Amino acid sequence: MTHSFIDHALLSRLASLPIESRVPMSGNVAGKHRSTHRGSSVEFAEYRKYVAGDDTRRLDWKAFARSDRYYIKEFEADSNLRAYLVVDASGSMNFAAAGEAKIQYARRIAASLAYLLVHQGDATGLLVSSEKQHLEVPPSRRAADLERLFAALETIDATGETSLPTSLHALAEKIGRRALVIILSDLFTDPAALGDALQHLRYRKHDIAVFHLMDPQEISFEFDRPHRFVDMEDGSSLIAEPSLIANEYKDALQDFLRTIRAKCHDAAADYQLVTTDTPLEPLLREFLTARLPKSKH
Amino acid sequence: MIFLEPLMLWGLLAVAIPLLIHLIHKRRHKTLPWAAMQFLLKASRESQGKKKLRYLLILGCRCLAIAALVFAAARPVVSSLFGWGGGSIDTVVLLLDRSASMESKVGDGLYSRRQFLIEKVRDAMAHLGAARLVLIDSASEKPQEVPTPDILTELSATAPTDSAADFPSMLTRAAEFLADSRGRSEVWLASDLQASNWHPDDQRWTAARASLAALPQKPTIRMLSLGGPGIPNTAIHLLGSRRNGNELWVDLEILHASGARGTTTIPLTTHLNGGRSTENLAIPNGSLRFQKRVTLLSNNESGYGGFSIPADGNPRDNVAFFAYGPARPVKSIIVAPAGEATDFLALAAAPAGFANQSTRRVDPADLTSIRIEEASAILWAAPLPSGPSNEMISRYLTSGGQVIFFPPGTTSNTSFADQRWADITEAPSGKFFILKDWNHRDGPLRDGTDGVPIPAEGLKAIRRQIPLGDAAALAHWEDGAPFITRRIIDNGTAWFVGSLPDYSWSNLGDADVLLPAVQRIVTAGVDRIEASYLTSVGSDSAQLFPGETCTRIDDYGSSDPANAAYEAGIFHLGERQIAINRPIQEDDPEILTRDSLDTILPGTHYTLLDQADQTRASSHSHDTWRAFLIAMLFFFIAEAILCIPRKNAKC
Repeated sequence: MTHSFIDHALLSRLASLPIESRVPMSGNVAGKHRSTHRGSSVEFAEYRKYVAGDDTRRLDWKAFARSDRYYIKEFEADSNLRAYLVVDASGSMNFAAAGEAKIQYARRIAASLAYLLVHQGDATGLLVSSEKQHLEVPPSRRAADLERLFAALETIDATGETSLPTSLHALAEKIGRRALVIILSDLFTDPAALGDALQHLRYRKHDIAVFHLMDPQEISFEFDRPHRFVDMEDGSSLIAEPSLIANEYKDALQDFLRTIRAKCHDAAADYQLVTTDTPLEPLLREFLTARLPKSKH
Repeated sequence: MIFLEPLMLWGLLAVAIPLLIHLIHKRRHKTLPWAAMQFLLKASRESQGKKKLRYLLILGCRCLAIAALVFAAARPVVSSLFGWGGGSIDTVVLLLDRSASMESKVGDGLYSRRQFLIEKVRDAMAHLGAARLVLIDSASEKPQEVPTPDILTELSATAPTDSAADFPSMLTRAAEFLADSRGRSEVWLASDLQASNWHPDDQRWTAARASLAALPQKPTIRMLSLGGPGIPNTAIHLLGSRRNGNELWVDLEILHASGARGTTTIPLTTHLNGGRSTENLAIPNGSLRFQKRVTLLSNNESGYGGFSIPADGNPRDNVAFFAYGPARPVKSIIVAPAGEATDFLALAAAPAGFANQSTRRVDPADLTSIRIEEASAILWAAPLPSGPSNEMISRYLTSGGQVIFFPPGTTSNTSFADQRWADITEAPSGKFFILKDWNHRDGPLRDGTDGVPIPAEGLKAIRRQIPLGDAAALAHWEDGAPFITRRIIDNGTAWFVGSLPDYSWSNLGDADVLLPAVQRIVTAGVDRIEASYLTSVGSDSAQLFPGETCTRIDDYGSSDPANAAYEAGIFHLGERQIAINRPIQEDDPEILTRDSLDTILPGTHYTLLDQADQTRASSHSHDTWRAFLIAMLFFFIAEAILCIPRKNAKC
């Protein structure tokens, strides 16, 4: 089955780049990500003093011979990654001044990342959040389940007001283990509430990545005549002469962006402001590359 | 401000164009679903104040620029006369004050107030295009159409005169004229606002205002005045004259218009029957009243002359003319029973040494048997006249006679001219009725021309009768009761004196009160007779009777035959030889105040333009289209500056 938001050529070009987590993961199957457990991996982690009860098989006899002290040799254990793609499906995501709507752009990012994650063996789930629509696809490592995720993306109908902070709080409570949470939204919500939700995720030790999606016209605010602006979420309207209020609008928007960036930074989230006219390949390539560990890079 | 092309003002409708464009632009908005509504709402809230103001300023600049262009195209003319409320005018009625006071010179001394105001009117009219100019001058008060304002200065109807002005009458004439006029009209009053010419208390103002209000299209009233001080000026006027044998006693007054302090000396030239002599007069404190006695030749039955002072700020008030006829005996009639009081009255009316004065006593009952028309004065010390006597005295008073009534000494309810005597009252034993105060400027007890008061404070009475009725009290007893009252009856005057010159009444006969008081009243009576030789410009006695011709016989100054009826001088009016002087009120310095104007012209929304500080006769009207073009440029530049985007625009 083909979906309009999947670019197979792009995915094949990006397949060589792994998606790395910036925090250790605790999966129950072997994977390529660092685990929170010290285990039997081949990658040495550290020495520690032997204490009663430790498995004597893990004593480092060579160290004992050199120092006449008992040391336990620990190794890092690799684990699989559990990722959640959170797509904001509020009405504002439907906005498209000229090109692609933000929701469609979000679909493309989500689908691409889901494909890459599943194909590197990580479980990937989907959470669609809005006041009127709540859709969830549980994380799965199986390529067969990927189609369910794509189908869910296909069915997203961006409408109503945003409920992103609430959904993130619920997600933080729901996920038992550490996970990579990728948020795709225009974040037109209360920055303080959003900040609280991100802090909640961070408290649960989740790795957070935020794709802040904006339409180019939302930033430039260039119009040549008065407009009646209709709110895409609650339907209220305002007649305004854009040339008269452009400066104030831009000031308010910049304040908002600064606040959002600060909130993400406080929550150690990987923040990226993306306009919908940005080509997807360099965006994802930059995202994936930036997440690679320095030593492996 | 007026517009030479008023039709262009329709272009002001174009001012609505920017507003319409704004409204249309605002209505043709596009509906757009918008996501980032929270920033839009915030921006809209923040920009509502200063942005809206800025936008309104831009809109205002555009509208004003168009308005300025239209005004410039309408060829505006700003005149200090029109102010800013002008417009297209069809008829201008000019009420021109030609009174003698208008000849006082102002500014650099080259122009009189009349000339200056005429120049202003001519200049203003030049910008009114085809407006019709109708002149009503104060001398003739006849409406006269002026073909072109350029000839205003050449018209005999705008030339100087020695007459007074009567503005209530002139305004009524203007209203009568405008009743038949069509279109928008204005009434311009050019005057020095001398109060005596405006008669602010005159009842005729009510009629004048009603006439204006009744016009189908109410005219705009503009007052063009020229107040402020003029060139230093001294005026001379004649208060009265009478012949006394071979002398002519002339009462004169010389007045410095500036009210100068200290003593000044001016030469006074006496003209008499072609001859002249000059003497220097010291004028203390700005004014001097004095009696000049001119010696006449013994065989000189009649003649004329005048007194002149050097030329100064007003050439029309430097001469006073007189004429005289044969000497006449001064006869007074005493209507009283014989007695002490009657003797004192006879002495007072014809004192020893006054050879031409005489008295005749008659009983009240015999009055009808004698002729009283030639009497200088009548002294009445009997019950008030009734019946035929009443009629005779009334006629005498109406013709200008002087009658002094003294207490009859009896109680009577008889009244005369609404006046009657109260009951006799007597002072308490050992006490007196004492004269407390009297009018020092008016009446028979007024101070002398030299300022010396009459010693009336020594007057005491033990009996008195108080005159009752509506009359002016000129002297009062200590208890406030009137001692002397005056009742004007047509041209004559009835005097009432509250005590008798009798030892059983008062010391009126002994004191220095009775003689000057009676002599002054007798003199006033003589003036009535002598008045046939003396009158003022515009008075009834200066008018020609049918069939009479008017010939000026003095050689003072230059005469304008067209204005002979309004000039002072010595004239032969038919058989009469008469000295005609300018009205004495022309020397009255009182100027009408703004409050007085508001009182006499309420509801007319008149505009007063006082040119006191603009005494150059140059033009005060200017084409102002350049100013409007500059204003238009200014508004366009301001609009452009306001349209420049702010430098701190972000994103």
